[in-house]
Amino acid sequence: MANAIECFNLTKRFPGCVALNEVSLAIPKGQIIGLLGPNGSGKTTLIKIVNGLLTPTAGEILVEGKHPGVETKKAVSYLPERSYLNDWMSVNEMINFFGDFYSDFNKAKAYDMLQRLNINPKDRLKTMSKGTKEKVQLILVMSREAELYVLDEPIGGVDPAARDYILDTIISNYSENAAMLISTHLITDVEKILDGVVFIDRGSIVLSATVDEIREKENKSVDALFREVFKC
Amino acid sequence: MLGRLMKYEIKATGRIFLPLYGLILAFAGLNRLFMYFNLQKKSDFLPNFVSGISMLVYILLVAAAFVITLVVTVQRFRKNLLGDEGYLSFTLPVAVHSHIDSKMIVSLMWSVLSTVVALLSVAILAIGSGLYREIASGWDSVRDFFSQYGASGWGCVVSIVVLLLAAQLSGILSLYVSVVVGNLSGRHKRLAGFGTFLGIGVIAQVVFFSFANTSGVFQSYHDVPLDSVAQMRALSTDCLILAVFCAAFGVAFYFLTDWMLSRKLNLE
Amino acid sequence: MPWDLKSDRPIYAQLMEQIKLLIVSGVYPVGTKLPSVRDMAAEAAVNPNTMQRALAQLENEGLLYSQRTSGRFVTEDADKVMQIKNDFAVGVIHEFLEKMQKLGYNGRQTIALIKRIIEEESENGQRD
Repeated sequence: MANAIECFNLTKRFPGCVALNEVSLAIPKGQIIGLLGPNGSGKTTLIKIVNGLLTPTAGEILVEGKHPGVETKKAVSYLPERSYLNDWMSVNEMINFFGDFYSDFNKAKAYDMLQRLNINPKDRLKTMSKGTKEKVQLILVMSREAELYVLDEPIGGVDPAARDYILDTIISNYSENAAMLISTHLITDVEKILDGVVFIDRGSIVLSATVDEIREKENKSVDALFREVFKC
Repeated sequence: MLGRLMKYEIKATGRIFLPLYGLILAFAGLNRLFMYFNLQKKSDFLPNFVSGISMLVYILLVAAAFVITLVVTVQRFRKNLLGDEGYLSFTLPVAVHSHIDSKMIVSLMWSVLSTVVALLSVAILAIGSGLYREIASGWDSVRDFFSQYGASGWGCVVSIVVLLLAAQLSGILSLYVSVVVGNLSGRHKRLAGFGTFLGIGVIAQVVFFSFANTSGVFQSYHDVPLDSVAQMRALSTDCLILAVFCAAFGVAFYFLTDWMLSRKLNLE
Repeated sequence: MPWDLKSDRPIYAQLMEQIKLLIVSGVYPVGTKLPSVRDMAAEAAVNPNTMQRALAQLENEGLLYSQRTSGRFVTEDADKVMQIKNDFAVGVIHEFLEKMQKLGYNGRQTIALIKRIIEEESENGQRD
């Protein structure tokens, strides 16, 4: 099976709005894909459906060939936009928690990354700054050897040095068997590490292409094209 | 996976309950000491208001244990599943019902433990007060009770325990279903949740009383002589009918909660 | 060395150019083994698939060759590297001449200017 995610006419309606409108999409394995769109375009709705946090109104979605459920959650490593860490735990306890629930979690990798970012595993999450918490969360997510990584705004709240480290982590964790879906608005920073991009607007996909196709055809960066497509 | 969920559930809630239990038992011991000094006519050793305050603190702690059991049941469910932590909880590779199971079982465990600790603290207060002698003599009457009623006596005790557990579980589940309904109703989540809880209470009462009045099951006492094996049997039967009634509501709450968390979940 | 990638051209084409530069400038001498795709991608901070594409393209052009088990190497063909070096130099000179023309210098004037500057530089060098 060559696709990590497949959607067929996927639709999600909320009272008074259509968040996703008949979206059909395939994310192949071994690729890093950027999911780009303005606020409220449906990015997070799509990501939540992939992770089984929302049930679609109509259409179908397959993650690793299966409908979202316990089996797909074993295979998907998800970084949400917000901090989901239990405040009262220490980083050590959080690592044990992940190790207990995800059989693909690599503790040695997690401790190695913590050390490189100068985070003390004994620290409690309560005492950490927002940026540090985000780093811890990303470390936990990237320390899994998952089949699909879904990162919602992974570099939003961290300083430029940590941003470089995170992008480096993403590249060095790349595997031909795994796919990665990254939603972000900081396109310039991630553009170079992407295979392709999907532009989404008001619940519909408006463009799906590789980064180099865009650069070849339009003679401009994805960031510049994004600004043009979504000009206010 | 249920075991692992329960492990973390106990860790998360134990850090509130265990210190509280420690405090309750410590204050029970302290009060016992004060009583001892006062009995020794050494009341000038400690001013009376100190022992008074200590007793008040103890009583408040015991009351708090039961209030906190309730609050933690609601808060833990709301925060861990429907707050930001829900993003992690619901992406763990476990079935939705396992979350409900683990929280329900651990919450029941704390309710039982709170009762046990409260009784234990009373026992500490009663050291040397003659209560133990009375219990010892009371034990004889308990033995008399069982020798008089035999199996029906035991049946009665078991039915009462079953009823208490069923009532507690369906109580916990009614809180869960209220929290979930409240959370789905857009704005005024807390108000909607509270309204649901009251609504459930009213419905349960109406159903119960109309059932009791029309079926006449709970009238059995009138027909049998007091202090008889027959009455014990009637009491057991009534307890079990009530337990089934609670369980039926509990099962309905359970599946409603599971269905809403699986199909209607919409984390902010 | 930081990899300087412009935003308006395909990334793989820029990577090819930069790798060629590394080879002709002797960072990766003739016949040496290249780092793994993953390491090169990490160093350039680009997608590994894009790096792979650039390397495959260079292989097609004969500048690199791969051995199934031991990895990817720079060609042993020194003439080929030299030729690419020349191509680069010719490109730089064309670019330079174009700029000089914009400033109003013709070919002869440009050469005269270059001669003078080179002489001055070597005199300065002797004095030091």
